[in-house]
Order: sequence, then structure tokens, then C-alpha cells
Amino acid sequence: MKINYRQLSIMVFMSFIALKFLALPSLMYVISGNMSYLVALVLMIVDGLYVFLILDLMKKSGQKNLYEFMRECLGPVLSKIILIVLIIKYALVSANISKGLEFFVVENLYTEFNWVVFVLPLIILVGFMVYKGIRNIARVSEMICWAIVVGVIYIGLKAIAGVDILSYLPMFHDGVLPLFESAYVHLSWFGSATFLLMLFGKVDFSKEKKSQMVKYIIFAILLVQFLYFVFYGLFEVTSPTHNYCISDISQFTSGQSSINELSWLVVSLWIVAQAVQLALYCYCIVQGLKMLFNIKGNTLSILIVLIYLFLWSLIGENTIGLEKVFFTHFASIITLVSQYIVPFLLLIGYAVKNRRKNIKQGEKTDEKIKNIIQS
Amino acid sequence: MKKLKTLFSPRKLVLWLSIIVLIFTLPTVNEPAMSQTDAIVTMLCVDKVEDKIKVAVTVLTPSQDKKANYQVFSGEGDTLGSAVDSVSLAIGKEMGFAQCGIMALGDELCEEGVMQALDYMTRAKKVGRNAILINFTGEIVEFAQAISNLSLEKSLNLDEIINFDKRYILSQDSNIETFYIGYYNKVPLGIMPKIKMETEEDYNSIEVANTDSGSNSNMTTTGDGEENKKFLVNDGTISVFKEGKKYMDITPDMVKKINLFINDAQKGSIVIENVTDHIYNDAKIVLNILKKDTKIKPKFENGVPVYNAEVGLTVFIDEIIEDEINKNLLGREQDFLTDAVVEKIKEKVQLDMLDAISFCVSNDVDLLSIYKHFYNLKNKQFEEYLSTVGEKNYLDGIKFNIDIKVKSEN
Repeated sequence: MKINYRQLSIMVFMSFIALKFLALPSLMYVISGNMSYLVALVLMIVDGLYVFLILDLMKKSGQKNLYEFMRECLGPVLSKIILIVLIIKYALVSANISKGLEFFVVENLYTEFNWVVFVLPLIILVGFMVYKGIRNIARVSEMICWAIVVGVIYIGLKAIAGVDILSYLPMFHDGVLPLFESAYVHLSWFGSATFLLMLFGKVDFSKEKKSQMVKYIIFAILLVQFLYFVFYGLFEVTSPTHNYCISDISQFTSGQSSINELSWLVVSLWIVAQAVQLALYCYCIVQGLKMLFNIKGNTLSILIVLIYLFLWSLIGENTIGLEKVFFTHFASIITLVSQYIVPFLLLIGYAVKNRRKNIKQGEKTDEKIKNIIQS
Repeated sequence: MKKLKTLFSPRKLVLWLSIIVLIFTLPTVNEPAMSQTDAIVTMLCVDKVEDKIKVAVTVLTPSQDKKANYQVFSGEGDTLGSAVDSVSLAIGKEMGFAQCGIMALGDELCEEGVMQALDYMTRAKKVGRNAILINFTGEIVEFAQAISNLSLEKSLNLDEIINFDKRYILSQDSNIETFYIGYYNKVPLGIMPKIKMETEEDYNSIEVANTDSGSNSNMTTTGDGEENKKFLVNDGTISVFKEGKKYMDITPDMVKKINLFINDAQKGSIVIENVTDHIYNDAKIVLNILKKDTKIKPKFENGVPVYNAEVGLTVFIDEIIEDEINKNLLGREQDFLTDAVVEKIKEKVQLDMLDAISFCVSNDVDLLSIYKHFYNLKNKQFEEYLSTVGEKNYLDGIKFNIDIKVKSEN
């Protein structure tokens, strides 16, 4: 079951915006202040470039899956190590999405809410989507994509009148070092192209349109920048206290009005999109586990992933320190390796393999020519 | 493994769905309705009376009878938390503040500082930060009762009134979020509209029937008790807070002048007098401001900060008060914005704006965001300037330029 290029573009788009609309802008503000949008912009552009690098590798791999391709280019040992790193990366992103969603629904959307009521159906939903496969996730992404776009633009436009442009100035007041620090600390929230590594051999490139992918990536970057522009312009110095970017923007306007109720509809739709993203990254873990341990069916891997999600959801607020460690240094290094180093390793490995192949072919041709001359 | 696979097969989905529904339904069917356990608070009033924190809440009870929908409850305690708990205990319901759209703070509390109350209510009790903040004068329960009556008997909501006011050059609004932003800024200032509770009618007051609830009562239901006439006065007065504590009240007239610098306030009116030219003869003219565009352009001239304010006004002549109206004016829709009128408008607006500046400088209240404009737009020069005059005296050395442009709607 393969997905087409349009579906892939939409999945890339959704992955680009997935982790950006909850706690990220407020966390970034603590380090990079009013220039946080620039950090997001640069990292998203880099992510965009890596999408094309990975897609190029995907085409070179033909029908092979990632492990088969890696084994040819880098050998079995390094391939297994890379698989482990990738699984950790996907596990971290899944944990990030599920925990973010859980906090958002249990603490923000409702005043009193039993987390089990939310987490159990979510886990069952994710399990079902993963079981149905990548095409199912792609189709659901296709279905909700434009509703999410319209909703996010609506929420941003509704609050844009309250934006104070002055809050973006002065630029680079504390120099550029905080921007680099912020980029490193929050790296795990980016690396949106890594999921593509698990789609080797699952994409139909027959109707490939590069311009389509470029448009989706640019649109995703603009959408995130637009919402960050509104967020930082509205909340200024209080930005670090707003952990739920999308809902906090929607609730900025004073007083109660019927239009505010519509915002909750958009926010709810966005929760569905997050669930789809969670399913996508869980699918990546399942694929990784299957390749790593050479598991034939999906069921065992899915069960492992669901148990992992459930255990992660048991970690409550009192372990926030642990989460900080997970989502800063450790997660940053894992992202650095999985998105920014692995594709380059693959590219180099592929080039070396091709060169060897060419040399071998050359030697064989030379031998043939020699044989012909001798005979 | 195969058995496991069949358990998740699409055919078994309905079964799974039913099990999930059952799991979540069974424990909840025996639970009481939320309306029996939780009170939906729509407005919270807090004040300090003789070292005790007093709260009054307006609770919305879902009911078909609209008259009985809003009820006011009050309680007191040593802390805000214990005061809220005392109300909960009295009515036997948990207070739910998520729908609280107005937070009214009494004078005494404002003078002592409001940040602790705001922090507690937003963090622990989850009052939305978009809740409108009001500074009120008067007895707390009476005030809560009056606001409740306002919506019941006059179909007027206080949040709607405040939201309407901010578009006019009369008032400024504030919610918890904007108050926080002001508090955490480099110049910690905050504002709240001031609503007064009077016993005598004023020119811009609203009569609200009020019940004599008695000072020790925990519960006041609208429609019961002896009626006293009370008047809510929303005249555009604003309360200014410095570092979370009430610093001063600003009169509606001064607010109007200050708002000439604020871009959000778009509408209003100007009155000019003694206009004499080929059309008018010693006329008093009331002009309606249709649009106002204020641009603040700070700059440095030889190391001296200069605050440039450019105000563009689009006006329409509303009322002409003179002994004999020029016959050319009668029944005409076109606007007779003559040079003399424009000059008078400029003169009047300039005087008002200068007055606002001198008020802000002399009272050391930077309501014109002078610090923010210089710090954000001319950062390096301003920091150099601050190092010479000191952070606290920055207003003293600033020069002001005002440029006014007036045009007619036509």
C-alpha cells in the first residue's frame, strides 16, 4: 500500500505545524525573547531542505525499505544503531505530542477531567490507525488539513488587532547567542522531516511534483510564523506563561461572545490533527521495531508502542524535571543525529557504494575486454 | 498472535466501541448532575474590609425562569482562598470560575495591591485572563447585586458596556492579560475602568434596583427584599496602578485627552468655540471624530529624545450652535469644514494633548508609553540617555512635538 506524492506533501505540511502550536512559542521566549520567531523560521527552513534530501534518498532506494537501503550503504551494525536512534527520536516526539495533548485537554480544555477518560480512547484510536497503515494516516491527514489551516488562520486573524508591533523591537537586543541556545535547546520540537525515513519504499513517485512539496513547506512555515507573530505580539512579556498557544490566542479577546465558542471548535479540530500526528510517529516506531528485530507482523510492535504511550501518560506533573531533561539536551542530540546527520551518512554511504560498484563494473569490463583481446 | 489479530479486526470494532462506551458510562450514570455540585460564577467581586477579604460572586443557575438565573453570594475570610471557600461552604457547591467574565476589585484592595488576588484567581481558580478588570467603589454585595440587576432588568451586560467604550475616545479597557503585560513591563503600569456605585442620580448613571441584603448575609437572591435606589456610574474615569497598587484616578476629561495618543480609541467628539469666518458667526461647533490615526515617531536630536506625535483626524460637523444659522448650511449634507474650523480644531487638540503630556510628566505616569516607544524603537540611544539621567527621571528631559492633520469625510 503506497501513498501518493500529494498525500506525502500534506503529511509533511501537517508534521511541520504539529508540535508548534502548544508550548513551544512560550518555551522559546524564555531564552530567545522577542526573536524566537526567527529561531523557528531558520529551523523550519532547514527542515524543509532536509525533506528534499530525504526524498532524494528515498527515490535512490527504489523499492527497498530504510533498513535494506542502510545495510547496503552503511553495513548492518551502523544501520541497527541508526534504527535505535530513530526509534528513540520517534518515541520522544510521540511522548511530546501525547503529553502535550493530555495536559491541554485535562488541564486547559476542562476544569475537571479524569485523564484516563482521555488517554485510553486516544491510545486505542492511535493503535487502530497504526494497525490500518500509512495510507489510512495519509488519508485522514488529507481530510482534516484544510480545516486546520482555515481554523488556525481564523484564530490568528480574530486576535490580530491586539498585536503590538513594538513588542518585536529592539531586534537582537541580547545578541545572537540566545538564538543559538534556543535553537539547540528546542531542537527536538523541530526535525519534522525524520518521519520520512520510515516511508522508504512506501511512496509512489509517479506523479511527483516538486513544486507542490515546496508550496506546502512554504505555506507551513508562513502559517507558523503568522501564529507566532500574533502570539508574541499579543502576550509580549507574559508569553512564557502561555503554554497553550493556540487556545490562549483564541481566548485573548475580552468578555464572552458566541464567536469565542467557534474558537473552541477549531481548537478541538486541532486536537484531532495532533492525534493523527501521534499515530504517524507511532507508525514510525512500529516500522523501526519491525526492522530492528526483524518482526514479521504489526501486532506485537503496536502493542509495545501502546504500552509505551500508556506508561508515558502515567508520568504526572511531579516529573516535570525529568521531562525537561528529556526534551532538552538528550532530545536535542537525538534530533541532531536522526535528522541532520543520518541523511548525510546515507548520502555518503550511497555515493561510496556507487563508486565501488562503478569501479567493480569497470574492472569487470576491463577483464572482458582483456579476454576478448586474448581470445 | 493470530488470535490477537482477530481481536482487533474491523468486525470486532463495534464490540470494542460498545465496551469503551460502557466503561465510561457506567461510573458516570450514578453521579449527580454538575449543576448540583458546581456553581457557574459569571462575576467575581473582591474587596478588603477591616483586614478581612470579602468576596461576592454572581452565580448563573441554568433555569427556564430567567429572573431566577443570577444569584449573588458573598463570604469573607482572612485570605482570598478562605473567602471563596466560605462561599462554597455556604451554598454547598464548588465554585467554577472558568466562565467568569468580570473581576471587580474594590478600592481598599486596589490600594493595597491586586497582584496576589489576580495570581490566585488565574492560577489556582482558573479565571480566564480575558476577564475584564474593574475597579469599583461602594459596598461589595450591593455592587454585585447591582451588576446582576443590570443584566436582568435592563438587559445590559457590563462587559459589553466596557467593550463598547474602548472604541470611543472616552475610556480605556483592561483585562487581566493586559494588566499583567503592563505590570511586567519595564514601566510597571496598569489601568482599569472605574465604576462607581452612587445613591444619587448622576448625568451618566444607570439606575439599578438594589436589595437591602444586610451586611452579614451569605446569600442574596434578585427580586427579594426591600428595594433601594442605586445608580451605577460609568463616566469614563480610569484607575491607574503602579506596580500593582492603585496610584490615582484619572478624570474622564483627562482620559479623553490621553486617548488622543492611543490608537485603539478611534471615535469621539470635539467641541470648538468662537468660530467666525464667511460661514460661521461666533459659532460653537461639535465635531464628530469619525476616524483617528495616531503615529508616534520617537527620535533623538543632539542626544535629546524627541517624542513626535502625528495625529490624523477625520471629522464631521455634527452640531452648529450659533444665533443665526447660515442659510447656505441648512439642509445640506456636505461638510463645511472651513479653514477657520480646521485651525480651531488643531488648536484645541494640540492644547488637549499638551495638557495630557504635562499631566503624565507631573504625575510620573507614563500612560503614553513614552518609555516603550523610545526603548523599542531607539534602543541604543535611549539606553545611553537613561544612563545619564537615570531610569526614574527619564520623563524630565524629553521634548514633545505634536503635528495634527484634520480632514473632512467628504
